[in-house]
Amino acid sequence: MNPSFATLWRIARRDLNGRYRGLRLLALCLFLGVATLAAIGSLTAGIADELQNRGQTILGGDIEVALAQREATAEEMAALNKIGSVSQTIRMRAMAIGGTNQDSLLAELKAIDGAYPFYGKLTLKDGTQVNAPPKDLAYIAPTLADRLDVKTGDTIRFGEASFKVAGLIGDEPDRLGEGFTVGPVALINMDAMASTGLIQPGSMFRAKYRIKLLVNVNPANIADRLKAQFPSAGWEITDRSNGAPGTRRFIERMGQFLTLVGLASLVIAGIGVGNGVGSYLEGKRASIATLKVTGADSGIIFRLYLMQIFTVAALAIIAGLLVGSVMPLAIGAVAGDILPIAPGFALYPAPLLASAAYGLLIALAFALPPLSRARTVPAAGLFRSVVEGDRQYDRRTVLWVSLAILSIVAIALATAREPLFSLGFIGASFILLLILWFIAWAVRWTASRLPRPKKPLLRVALANLHRPGAQTRGLVVALGLGLTLFVTLAAIQTSIGKEITRSVPQRAPSFFVLDVPRDGISKFTGIVRAAAPGAGINMIPSLRGRVIAYAGNRVDQMDTLPEGAWILNGDRGLTYSADLPKGSELTSGTWWAKDYKGPPLISLEQDVATSLGVGVGDNMTISLLGVEVEGKIASLRKVAWDNFGLNYVIVFSPGALDAAPHNMVATLTVPKAAEATLAKQLPIAFPSASLIQVGEVVSKVTGLLTQMAQAIAAAASIAILAGIAVLVGAIAASRASRIYDSVILKLLGSTRGQILGAQAIEYAILALLLGLLALGLGLLAAWFVITQIFDFHFAPDWGVLALTLIGGAGITFVLGLAGSLPILAARPSEALRSL
Amino acid sequence: MAIVASNVTLSLGASDARVDILRGVDLEVPYGMSVALLGPSGSGKSSLMAVLAGLERASGGSVAVDGLDFTTLDEDGLARARRGRIGIVLQAFHLLPTMTALENVAVPMELAGFDDPFGRAAAELEAVGLGHRLTHYPSQLSGGEQQRVAIARAVAAGPKIIFADEPTGNLDGATGAAIIDLLFARRAAMSATLLIITHDPDLAARCDRVISMHDGHVVEGGV
Repeated sequence: MNPSFATLWRIARRDLNGRYRGLRLLALCLFLGVATLAAIGSLTAGIADELQNRGQTILGGDIEVALAQREATAEEMAALNKIGSVSQTIRMRAMAIGGTNQDSLLAELKAIDGAYPFYGKLTLKDGTQVNAPPKDLAYIAPTLADRLDVKTGDTIRFGEASFKVAGLIGDEPDRLGEGFTVGPVALINMDAMASTGLIQPGSMFRAKYRIKLLVNVNPANIADRLKAQFPSAGWEITDRSNGAPGTRRFIERMGQFLTLVGLASLVIAGIGVGNGVGSYLEGKRASIATLKVTGADSGIIFRLYLMQIFTVAALAIIAGLLVGSVMPLAIGAVAGDILPIAPGFALYPAPLLASAAYGLLIALAFALPPLSRARTVPAAGLFRSVVEGDRQYDRRTVLWVSLAILSIVAIALATAREPLFSLGFIGASFILLLILWFIAWAVRWTASRLPRPKKPLLRVALANLHRPGAQTRGLVVALGLGLTLFVTLAAIQTSIGKEITRSVPQRAPSFFVLDVPRDGISKFTGIVRAAAPGAGINMIPSLRGRVIAYAGNRVDQMDTLPEGAWILNGDRGLTYSADLPKGSELTSGTWWAKDYKGPPLISLEQDVATSLGVGVGDNMTISLLGVEVEGKIASLRKVAWDNFGLNYVIVFSPGALDAAPHNMVATLTVPKAAEATLAKQLPIAFPSASLIQVGEVVSKVTGLLTQMAQAIAAAASIAILAGIAVLVGAIAASRASRIYDSVILKLLGSTRGQILGAQAIEYAILALLLGLLALGLGLLAAWFVITQIFDFHFAPDWGVLALTLIGGAGITFVLGLAGSLPILAARPSEALRSL
Repeated sequence: MAIVASNVTLSLGASDARVDILRGVDLEVPYGMSVALLGPSGSGKSSLMAVLAGLERASGGSVAVDGLDFTTLDEDGLARARRGRIGIVLQAFHLLPTMTALENVAVPMELAGFDDPFGRAAAELEAVGLGHRLTHYPSQLSGGEQQRVAIARAVAAGPKIIFADEPTGNLDGATGAAIIDLLFARRAAMSATLLIITHDPDLAARCDRVISMHDGHVVEGGV
C-alpha cells in the first residue's frame, strides 16, 4: 500500500522546515521572472483596458466616420443624422505663424463645432472647461505657444486667417484617437475654417463625424450598416470599442516584444531553478537514502520532493504575481507622460494566468531533470562514501520536460499578436541556448584537456572550471544568454540611433513640403532658388486614393485581407509620372512612353504586388475622392525607400489623374544657412502648404526610440538579474568543496592572497569568456536584425558595447570574487573538524 | 527461515573498474536468532548486509527474506518489501536532520500506512528512554541519543528482522555498551531476528551465532 497524499504532504512539509537554501534560489529566480512577466502583461492589459474604457472619450463619440479630402455629402449627412447626434471636426496639417518674429511652425489645425466634445471635457490649462471657441479665437497647445513665443491674447495665423489666442489647451479629450501627429494642436471654430482658405480641392485634410447614438445599440452593427449603405464612400468607420487603434496596436506590439524579452529572462531564471533544485537535492542525498532505507520507493521520493518544489514555486509565483500586478501603478507613476495613457489599476486575469503558467512550466521543465536524478539515489548510498545517481533521464522525465517546453511555446504563440514574430524570437532564443550549451560543454571539455599548468594556483583555477560538480555550464548559459541579450539590444539600439541621427540627415532633404498648389509651382521654385540657388527641388503630384478592387477581387467583399496587404487599409498616397521615379528599379513589365496618352496604366511596388498576388496585366481600381479609376498594371518596381526621394507605391501613367483636384508635394535640399530663410518665407508665401523640417522629425523619432529602448532594457535587465542569481547560487552550491580546497591549500602553506588569486583567475577566465561570447553572439544577432530585418547599416556604438560588456563581465568577476571571501575566512582547524 | 541466501555474489563497477565484493555467500538464519557478522574492513560485511536488507541487489545467486524472493524485486519493490518487515540501524545514525526525534521514528510507519504512527513512535521513544526528547532535532541530541532514536525508528514498526551495521562505531565505550543493551532488549521484546556487524568480540559473544567473513566469502559460521 502506498502512503496517502496527506501522509506524503506531512512528511514533505516537515522535511521542508529545515534547510532549503537551494530552494531559495528557485524562489528568487521564479519570483523575478514571474513578476516581470506579470508586470509587462498587466501594464499592457491596463493600457489596452483604459483605451477601451475611455473609448467614447478617445474617439469623441460612439462611432466615428472619417473622410479624407472631402466633407460628407448631404445624402451621407442625412444617413448619419438618422443614427444619432453628429459632431463634425476637420483636421489638417497647417503652418502656424505668430510671435514677434512671425516665426512659423507646423501644427495640427483642428476645427470643431458647437457639439464638440460629445464625451469627456475640453479643458484649458487654467482648468476652465470650454467648447468650440468663437470664430476669431483659437485655443492652442502649450508647445505651440512656447515654440512661437505667443501667449494668451496674442495673434496667431493659419492660412489667410488670424486668430486671437484665447487660452492654452490643458486636455484635448480625443487626443489619443487622433493618432500620431507631427505638430502641436490648435483648435478653432468650424465656421472659421473657410476663412483660412486652407481647404481647397486636393488639400490634405480629414473630416470626421462623431456620432452619439440615440439608443443603446451595438455600434459595430451600425458601422456595418453604414458601410453597406455607402459602399464606395471611402470612409473609415471606427467605433468606441477601439477608439485609438494605432495606439492600441503599438502598445500591444510593444507588450508582446517585452513579454518575449521577459520570457527569455525567465528561461535564464529557469537555469537558476535547475541549479537551485539540483543543489538542494544534492544536499538531501543522505536524507533520500535514509528515506529509502525506511521504506520509501523512488516514486515516493519523487512525489515528496516534487511537493516541496511545487510548494516553494507556487509561493514564489504568487509573490511574483502580487508584485507584478501592482507594478503598473509604479510604472505609471515613474513613466508619467511617456505612456500614452495612465494604466488603470485592476487585476487582469489573462496576463497573470499566463505569467503563472510560464512560471510553473519553467519550474517543471528545469526542476524535473534533477528531481529525476534524485529518485535514483540508491539506499545503499549510506554504506558507500561515493554514490553517484543515474545520470540518464528516464523516458517519462524527457516526455514531461518536452511537454512543458512545448506548452510554453504554445502559450507564447496563442497569446501573441503576431505569432510568426514570436515563433522567430523563440526559435532564435532556442538556437542561442543550444549554442551556449555547446560552448559551455566545449569549455569544460577543453579545460579538462589543457596541459596542467605548472603553477599550482593556476591549476586549481583551471580545475574549478571542469571538476565534478563545477557550475561552468549553468553559468555560461545563464550569464551568456543575459549578456548576449544586452549586447544585442545595445547594438541594435545604437545602430538604429546612428542611422537616424547621422545617416538620415545626410541623405534626407532639408524639408518636405506638402500641399504646394499646382498653380504655384513656379512661384515656389523661384522663392527656393532665390534663397538657395543650388537647391535640390523634387516635386511630384500628390493624391490620396483607396484601393477598391484588384485582379477581380472587391476589397469590401473580402472577409480577411491578405497577409502584409497594408495598402488595402484606408487611403493611400499615390502619384502620376511620365518618368520612372528616382530610387525605383523595374522588376517586371515596361515603363510607359513619356508621351503616353492611352488608358490608365499603373506601376506597383514589387512587395505590395506580391502580398496582393497581382502582376503585370492585372487590373486595379482606385477610388479618388469618390471617383473610381481603373488601371492596368504595366510594371512592378523595387523602391529604395531609405533614399528619402519622393516615391509612392502606386504610380499612374500621366493623363489618367490630371483632372483630379490635387496639390504637389516637394522635397527641398538646401544648405543649412538657407533653412531658416525658407522656413520663414515659404509659409507666408504658401499659407496652405505644410513645411516639415526633417531635423524636427529626427529628434521626435529619436526620443521615441530612446523611450522604447529604455523599456526594453528594463525588461532585459531582469535577464541580467536572473543571471546574477544563478551566479550567486552557483557560488553557494560550490561553497563546501571550495572551503575544502581552501583549507587543504592553507594546510599546505598557501596564503589567503594566493587562494584569492586562484579564485580571481577562475572568475577572470569565466568573465573574459562570457564577454567574448556575448560580444560574438550579440553582434551576430544584432547584425542580422539590423541588416536583414530593418535593412539599415550595421553601425553599433562600440563605446556603449564596451561599457555593456565591461559592466556585465565585471559584475561576474566581482560577484564571483566577493562570494569567495567567506571561503577565505574558513579557519583550517574549525573546517577540518566539520569536514 | 528469516533469511536464506544461496551463492550470493555482488560486483560493483564496470569492465576494468569492476570489483567483486561478494563471491558466493551461502547463509540461512532462522527466525528469532541473533547473528554477529565479523571480519576485517573490506571483507564484504556491509555489502552482505546491504544485499540481505534489500538496499543492494545481488549480482548473482538468490536471496529470500521472510519468505520473499529479493532477487525478483527491483529497487522500488525492495523498498516496499522493507516496510514493517525490516528495521535497520546504521553506524552514522542517519536521522533526517530536518525532522524531530518523534517525526524520524514515525516516518517508516507513515510510509507503511500504520495507524497512529505518532502514538507508536512516542511509545517507542519512551521505551528507549527518550520520552522527554520527542521534539528535539538530531542536531540537538547527543550521539548516544541519536542512536537511540535510530533504534526506535528501526524497531517501532515491529519488524521481523533487524539489521545493525556497527551501531556503536561512532560512540564512546560506555554509551556504546548502553546502546547494545538497548538494542538487544528491544529485539528480545519483539522476538526479532538480529544480524549485527561488529568488530567487537564481546558483542559477538552475546549473539546466538557468529559468522566470519574474508574477501567476500563466509569463512566461518556459514549456512
